Amino acid sequence: MHTLEKKVLHVLQNSQSATIEEICIKAEIGADQVRRALEWLKEKNYVEISQQKIFEIAIGDEGRKAVAEGLPERKILATLVERKIASLQDLARLSGLDEGVFSGALGAARALGWIEMKKEADKTLVLLKSIPPPTDDEKLLSKLSRKPVLLESLTAEEKKVLTTLSKRPNFIQLKTIQIQTLKLTDAGAKVPVEVRIENEIDVLTSGIVVSGKWKEASFRPLNVEEQAPAIFPGKKHPLQNFIDEVREIFVSMGFEEIEGALVQSSFWNFDALFTPQDHPSREMQDTFYLAGEQSRNPASPPILQSVSNAHINGGGTGSKGWGYKWKLEEAERTVLRTHTTCTTVRYLADTKPEEARVFSVGRVFRNEKVSYKHIVEFHQVEGIVVGKNVTLRDIMGLLGKFYQKLGFQKTKFWPTYFPYTEPSLQSMVYFDNLDKWLELGGMGIFRPEVTLPLGVKNPVLAWGLGLERLVMLRYNMEDIREIYGNNLNWLRGASLRR
Amino acid sequence: MLKGQVSKKKLEETIPYLGLDLEEVTEDYLRIEYNPNRPDFATDYGIAKALNSFLELQTAWKDYNVSKGKIIVKVDKSVQSIRPFIVAAVARNIKLDDESIRQIIALQEDLHNGIGRMRKKVSIGIHNLDVLKPPLEYLAVEPTFLFVPLNETKSMSMQDILTSTSTGREYAHLVNQFSKYPLLRDSAGGVLSFPPIINGELTRLSSSTKNLFIDITATDLKTAENALAVVATTLSDAGALIESVKVPYPDQSLITPDLSARQEAVDVEYANRLLGLQLTKEEMVKSLRKARLQSKADSNKIVAKVPGYRIDIIHPVDLVEEIALGYGIFRMELSFPASKAVGKYNPLQVELSRVRETAMGLGMLEVVNFSLVGEDLLKNAGIDAQLIRVDKSKSAEHEVLKPSMLPTILLTLSKNIHEEYPQKIFEIGKVFIKKEGVIIEEYRVAGAVSHSSANFTEIHSYLSALVRQAFGVQILTKAAEMPPFIEGRTAEIVYNGKRCGSIGEVHPEVLQNLGMRNPIAAFEMKLSSFVSS
Repeated sequence: MHTLEKKVLHVLQNSQSATIEEICIKAEIGADQVRRALEWLKEKNYVEISQQKIFEIAIGDEGRKAVAEGLPERKILATLVERKIASLQDLARLSGLDEGVFSGALGAARALGWIEMKKEADKTLVLLKSIPPPTDDEKLLSKLSRKPVLLESLTAEEKKVLTTLSKRPNFIQLKTIQIQTLKLTDAGAKVPVEVRIENEIDVLTSGIVVSGKWKEASFRPLNVEEQAPAIFPGKKHPLQNFIDEVREIFVSMGFEEIEGALVQSSFWNFDALFTPQDHPSREMQDTFYLAGEQSRNPASPPILQSVSNAHINGGGTGSKGWGYKWKLEEAERTVLRTHTTCTTVRYLADTKPEEARVFSVGRVFRNEKVSYKHIVEFHQVEGIVVGKNVTLRDIMGLLGKFYQKLGFQKTKFWPTYFPYTEPSLQSMVYFDNLDKWLELGGMGIFRPEVTLPLGVKNPVLAWGLGLERLVMLRYNMEDIREIYGNNLNWLRGASLRR
Repeated sequence: MLKGQVSKKKLEETIPYLGLDLEEVTEDYLRIEYNPNRPDFATDYGIAKALNSFLELQTAWKDYNVSKGKIIVKVDKSVQSIRPFIVAAVARNIKLDDESIRQIIALQEDLHNGIGRMRKKVSIGIHNLDVLKPPLEYLAVEPTFLFVPLNETKSMSMQDILTSTSTGREYAHLVNQFSKYPLLRDSAGGVLSFPPIINGELTRLSSSTKNLFIDITATDLKTAENALAVVATTLSDAGALIESVKVPYPDQSLITPDLSARQEAVDVEYANRLLGLQLTKEEMVKSLRKARLQSKADSNKIVAKVPGYRIDIIHPVDLVEEIALGYGIFRMELSFPASKAVGKYNPLQVELSRVRETAMGLGMLEVVNFSLVGEDLLKNAGIDAQLIRVDKSKSAEHEVLKPSMLPTILLTLSKNIHEEYPQKIFEIGKVFIKKEGVIIEEYRVAGAVSHSSANFTEIHSYLSALVRQAFGVQILTKAAEMPPFIEGRTAEIVYNGKRCGSIGEVHPEVLQNLGMRNPIAAFEMKLSSFVSS
């Protein structure tokens, strides 16, 4: 009989029946070693193994969110606390809930008697009735959020609450756990077992090495075939890995990388790009302005003069301009850059190159309502080529090569519109695995109204594209927020293969 | 509307090359999205016109004639300081059905939202001409003035319209600051509209309406004229006869609409150079014809007649794009520009990459967080700094620029309490600090270890190794007190005699705020101290 068998039998003979975990502790060996020994003992008919199922209740992603942010019906209540009464539409909007979630939550809040609804004219009004203490639902969720529990440990009331909670998608996770119970057969009980602590080395220590004790002892065999406990390497974030891939490609194509500030004046973010001061993209709806900040003298007086002239009447660029009254105060408003283009444009103004190949990768900001499709910060890569003879066909060729280096063989180009390039194109890239063409980036030649006021005489090819979408496609993600979610399980497991 | 048979497949292939986005293809329809520079694409008439030219189904030019009309809109000086401009046109003999009404309204809405800047700059009213009793008058009246607004049955005061109709509430901010409101009415007192808010019920369109009156009020005359050109051209394409309207102002008199074409010239060599093509003048003229622009060669230039509705053409480069479109973007071969340029990484990014690699070598996992965070998060982490806020964020989790990396590092760990320990993470990113009125963006590295016995000594080892390996220098730690760390287990990081960061064991109160059980030891350090950028 193998030593492991002896150890397991010894435990069982003293306790009649036990779980694997119990044997591990008493026999002081690993779970896999116990399992292995049991297989052998079963074959010899010394042991019977019986299976038993138990259930473990854990909190789901939505449930965890509800603990952190409150249940949807709590959110409705919170919205109502300030105003006591609101129309159905206002409430839906202010609560920030999705339509489906909102109507469910409204029903729940009403059933609980927290709110009352009444019709007035053509509107439905919702009134706050009471602000209740935590409900049973909330109590159970908060209990589960601390740690998973076994179903059998719940009280009858808690089980009822669990039934209603599990109707909400992703609130509750039910895990089935198989437990094996072991029992000795009559034969097993009678087998004489002698667990002799032989002169066996368990852990090889420096003491044993130095003293030479090992010469008289044997080594306890280890289960070298069992799975090792997981350890995790230090690693780049998958988004950074992709950014670095993009940087490598542009550098390999002869581009120089530049850096720029995230906080910019409207002048560099918009005016220098010939975006009229009343353009919708400049509104607070879309753009983050810094409260109470103003960027005084955003550029040198000659640049301010020539850029504003381009807006007012074309300023000698051959354009009619926008024909409006340009205001310095508007150009001085401080923004979080909405695109990396301000970095390339500042580079043009600073160096006035006749020839250049430059790119930058960085964060940009948009005042969006956060959802699975939108986040407020994301990354763009942006590049320019300046040269006397650069052409629209060149930019198609450059971008085609870039996509090829990223692994996309088929690219086509469609005309489109951007305020600061003319002609403007968008690139359509074919994704083999999706069997689909997807729109990836925009490009064009900077309008003369952009380049001439900055003192750049030669044409400037420019392009830009967002990176998160490609990261999502690479990792089969459907929710853009996951990229910034920093779920360690995902980060530890995500392959950095390019 | 197409002057020839075109298969659906051909349409699907062609439409994107007109600069239009094909959003949806079904058995019965194609859903098309157009760009804001081309409001003339808001209706099927505009798109059919472009396709007819592009596919050479209709090459004859249509002149947009305006016959002289008799209607007068008198402009009172009372509107001068409120909404000073109005232009107008008449469209006769139009056949409307529900679909064409829907399209005309879509065009109107598009102009409102685009060049009209949400009606602030330009707003458009389209009325049933036959119920009007000219001459008309555009003037400012008291807010108590009563009329029946569109979709209402009773008369309401203008001020009630602003507070109790949904359109009124949406646009009230455009007139609220004035003591009088603009009004367009006829000689019998019938109200056409209360611009830029709402039309009168009197002039409502129906499928039996045959003759239209269009008014456009504005704060900018040129934009109003542009919008009118787009509307009148579309109605003409829909089969209407356009008639002019006389608009006498106190100081001038206008006759609108003006649908005459203007001339714009582009240099042949300039166009070829930008596009990378060698087109002859004839080929350019042909390309422009396919882009529905009539043109002729004149020595080394091409001179195009640009119709009034092409408000997007303001520079010769816009004609270059039209040449490319007419020529066909799909016909242009890709080329790769020759260059002697040698690629180069940004030196600062090179330094950051080295820090990143060193941290990775120490077994730390990189995380990425947002720069805009919620104020609560900073509070929970005990961070007390002068905050830089954004205006009107749509989300409470993104309201302030973070002054420190630690709050989001702690947030990351708090979101992962169910993942295996030990957890070792780092992040490289920017923080934002206001110093003497100037906002400074600073690159920092932060790192943390968390497990049941994470402690100061351990994180100190990580930090020292990181700095030694990445920069080849030694840092010192000097006892200090600062959140979110435990008193007596906190130090400032000092390099070259200057403070450049903090390190310590995170205070249990902060851990509890974040719902965490395992200790965390962490550091944050600015990188500019080691990097000359």
